Amino acid sequence: MPKKSEKKVDVEKGFKELEQIAAWFEEGGGDLDEGLKKFERALAISKDLKTRLKEAENRIQEIKKGFEE
Amino acid sequence: MDSQSAIFSVSDFITHVNMVLGESWDMSYAVEGEVSGYRVSRGQWVSFDLKDDDTLVNVFLPVWNLHIPIEDGMRVRVYGKPRVYPKYGKFSLSAEKILPAGEGELKKALLALRLRLEKEGLFDPTRKRELPRFPERIAFIGSKESAAYGDFVRILNERWGGVHIDVYDVLVQGDRAALDVAQAVRRTQSIPYDAIVITRGGGSYEDLMAFNDEALVRAIHASKIPTLVAIGHERDVTLAEEVADVRASTPTDCARRLVPDRRDTLYELQVTTDAIERAMELFLEERRVALAHAMSAPSLWLRTHSVNVSHLAERSLSAFDRWFASLQERLETSTRVLASYDPKAVLKRGYSILRDADGKKIVSVSNLSFNQKISLTLADGDAEGTITKI
Repeated sequence: MPKKSEKKVDVEKGFKELEQIAAWFEEGGGDLDEGLKKFERALAISKDLKTRLKEAENRIQEIKKGFEE
Repeated sequence: MDSQSAIFSVSDFITHVNMVLGESWDMSYAVEGEVSGYRVSRGQWVSFDLKDDDTLVNVFLPVWNLHIPIEDGMRVRVYGKPRVYPKYGKFSLSAEKILPAGEGELKKALLALRLRLEKEGLFDPTRKRELPRFPERIAFIGSKESAAYGDFVRILNERWGGVHIDVYDVLVQGDRAALDVAQAVRRTQSIPYDAIVITRGGGSYEDLMAFNDEALVRAIHASKIPTLVAIGHERDVTLAEEVADVRASTPTDCARRLVPDRRDTLYELQVTTDAIERAMELFLEERRVALAHAMSAPSLWLRTHSVNVSHLAERSLSAFDRWFASLQERLETSTRVLASYDPKAVLKRGYSILRDADGKKIVSVSNLSFNQKISLTLADGDAEGTITKI
């Protein structure tokens, strides 16, 4: 079982969530507590994504030919 | 005569005929003619008639022996052997290899195949899917030894990281290439890839022909996973590229289309994060203003009321002072008045009080008698005496 911290960040989902948070703030209004929570979440996602984007290596694996076909 | 005749069973006869036919024919011979009635049954068996002006012969072959697009009217050279198919007793030319009678023929056939597949809707732009913006796991189908593979991986590493790439090392030219690639495409279908990349570098018209193979084109068309295909150079467009969801011009272009540049993405991330930070500041500022506004009303109320209260207190206090002063004045007056009524004060002025022996005040001489004992009260003491004259 991989530890939670080792779980790969889903870049696509991360960006989508960030955009949603940005849109939420742009819309204005909203509860203060909710706003603070969203802001914290945005900072956390942003940090995760930055770390993920700095990942340099691509992992290459060769798939052996199957003879079943 | 009859007794000298050999008796063959039907199957022996066909076996004999096929043996004779096989021996009589050299595999290097080719029969050239025009294709008519081309069809593929169950996706496996190809058959058509090869015609002259007045003559025809049936040609039969498994689909994997066919490496060029064939259309009715095309002139081809068929290599194979004459054979009677035992089950139906049907004579045909069992083909091992089919080549176009000339490059012009091949181009014509390719054009016809392209039109047929286009009509069928295989190249319909509305069914093309977009590649995911940030693929995590992809299948690379190509030759691991090729420059195309090297270019693809190099550009991919330059732009992006953390992608899991499964490499399906396949033949990308020759008779088996189309089949090899199509099999790899089918194998990928059970794995949750974000995209399939099929690529090879430039080559001759014949080298790239495998990527015009109908079965391969159909395998790519059937893919549940979005496909990205780049074959040869920009000017060569194979059917495999036309059917792909996304077409790239070269293996390098493939890598560029597959992943974003991390610098662009980091910049975009920064822009979005900055926007959220600014929005958050604005969000807080709006609430500070709202809070200040909300607070100003009660404090204003409080200020107004505290002024009122102090006015009231002042007024009460001065009223009390005045009341107290008048009270004091009245008290002093009363004291003075009362003091004037004090009998001792009268005695001091020279009066005295006359009482009989019982202490009863005597205010008239008619109440006096001769030799009567009396007492006198003066301001500073009492005295006694006797009446000697009335």
